[in-house]
Amino acid sequence: MPGGGHCPDCGSTELVEDSHYSQSQLVCSDCGCVVTEGVLTTTFSDEGNLREVTYSRSTGENDQVSRSQQRGLRRVRDLCRVLQLPSTFEDTAVAYYQQAYRHSGIRAARLQKKEVLVGCCVLITCRQHNWPLTMGTVCALLYADLDVFSGTYMQIVKLLGLDVPSLCLADLVKTYCSSFRLFQASPSVPPKYVEDKEKMLSRTLQLVELADETWLVTGRRPLPVITAATFLAWQSLQPSHRLTCSLARFCKLANVDLPYPASSRLQELLSVLLRMAERLAWLQVLKLDKRSVVKHIGDLLQHRHTLVRKAFRDGTAEMEAGEKELRERCQGPEQGKEEVASSSLDLPEGKRPASPTPLLPPCMLKPPKRICPPPPVSTVTGDENISDSEIEQYLRTPQEIKDFEKAQAARQAARSVSNPP
Amino acid sequence: YPSPMTPMTPITPATPASESSGIVPQLQNIVSTVNLGCKLDLKTIALRARNAEYNPKRFAAVIMRIREPRTTALIFSSGKMVCTGAKSEEQSRLAARKYARVVQKLGFPAKFLDFKIQNMVGSCDVKFPIRLEGLVLTHQQFSSYEPELFPGLIYRMIKPRIVLLIFVSGKVVLTGAKVRAEI
Repeated sequence: MPGGGHCPDCGSTELVEDSHYSQSQLVCSDCGCVVTEGVLTTTFSDEGNLREVTYSRSTGENDQVSRSQQRGLRRVRDLCRVLQLPSTFEDTAVAYYQQAYRHSGIRAARLQKKEVLVGCCVLITCRQHNWPLTMGTVCALLYADLDVFSGTYMQIVKLLGLDVPSLCLADLVKTYCSSFRLFQASPSVPPKYVEDKEKMLSRTLQLVELADETWLVTGRRPLPVITAATFLAWQSLQPSHRLTCSLARFCKLANVDLPYPASSRLQELLSVLLRMAERLAWLQVLKLDKRSVVKHIGDLLQHRHTLVRKAFRDGTAEMEAGEKELRERCQGPEQGKEEVASSSLDLPEGKRPASPTPLLPPCMLKPPKRICPPPPVSTVTGDENISDSEIEQYLRTPQEIKDFEKAQAARQAARSVSNPP
Repeated sequence: YPSPMTPMTPITPATPASESSGIVPQLQNIVSTVNLGCKLDLKTIALRARNAEYNPKRFAAVIMRIREPRTTALIFSSGKMVCTGAKSEEQSRLAARKYARVVQKLGFPAKFLDFKIQNMVGSCDVKFPIRLEGLVLTHQQFSSYEPELFPGLIYRMIKPRIVLLIFVSGKVVLTGAKVRAEI
């Protein structure tokens, strides 16, 4: 560093100017010896020029890593180790945490938020390396609420201007499926339930792709779809022994939590498979239902591209036509609800389908809860005259005021009786 | 010498996207603020008005409601007021004026200063399903799509500066506009 300076202790030339809180010092960065110090005492006139500075405004804060930040950085490293992430991830996550800490809004945040921030930094690092870590897992590990996590996550992504890639579904399937305890016989898993990991992974992936193609994944949480797909894949690989096992029991056996929407996703996936089965020549005659279709999932997946094309058609045009019909029908008060509901799905009951069903997300296939009438055109200008009577309806009469005051006083008295000071 | 019929430079009319696609967003909510210009005693207002709610422990303002236009107002002791729930700018202004009149009749020298529309919320339906995962890839610098947190895609448009919530069903919510043209 600056020429000419030698440490009297070790002779090093690496002397650093340390402008600390109240006193400047020249310190040897090798052995820590204080070479020179600034003036320790001040004169009266000097003191007149000094001002009290809070720690957060002093230079000390920039030089030192605060205890809170140190704790946070330790938590980041701990979380990376618990998740068994590669060591490079740890450094990236730590860097993000430090970057976040430079913002005063984060420095002044509550401990709960700082704790959640640890999870956010690790999650962002994983996403950028296509490591399939879900927010649910992070929240579970940090005992954090998903709502709190959500707010902090969105804030930090915006604050640091980060580009966070989406969660990779295929990778998540592989990781999540591998966590199912079904690949070896155990006291809780009978031999007929044990499955080959590769077969199950491959079939689950195909089912998830099918779900994605048929609009069951967009806008929904990813994990429940994968749970449903894993269950169907497992069942279909040995249906004779496994059809009696329910989704809940399956998850319990596999030692995996059952996410609440998984049953709903399962039903949707089975409906899609049934539609496809109706298009497969040798299955049309069998009149399959949601249980029996499981036996044929292998066949259906093998021909899934053709079947999806045949079973579903472009939903947009159909939707518009259906809605027009709906509006026209609802103008007649005598129309029943059943007609309204079946307008876009014209499938005769129990017969071979005459035409394919529209390929639309489930939320667009459900009949609308109520037909919203177009709002009446408003002719308000904002400058209308306001009549006194209209305003007076909002004012209490003197009698009402007295009654209200009496009621308030009575309530106050009752409170002070029940809570004696 | 250019005739009035042939301008020197071609004028490209600014056609807002809504006009070219035929879809006009419907306004759902307008938030406006106004300064009544005098300090207010919230306890008095809560006592003497029928349509007022005041819970100082929960929130430091009186919550007042009127039936026509159906709106809610937050009235602060500084004299500033926030009016929400109107379906058009004109309705918001009319509602704010009515609240000001109520406050006047309660005995305060309320004025109507600096009325300003702060936010406009609209909604519309494009009537076709949207692959949000695809949209977040092609418009990555404006979009945020986290299905683990929220089913819609958050699109932050720069010009005009509005935020759109785009859902798989094709329904879109637009917010952040200060004037109707932005939506």
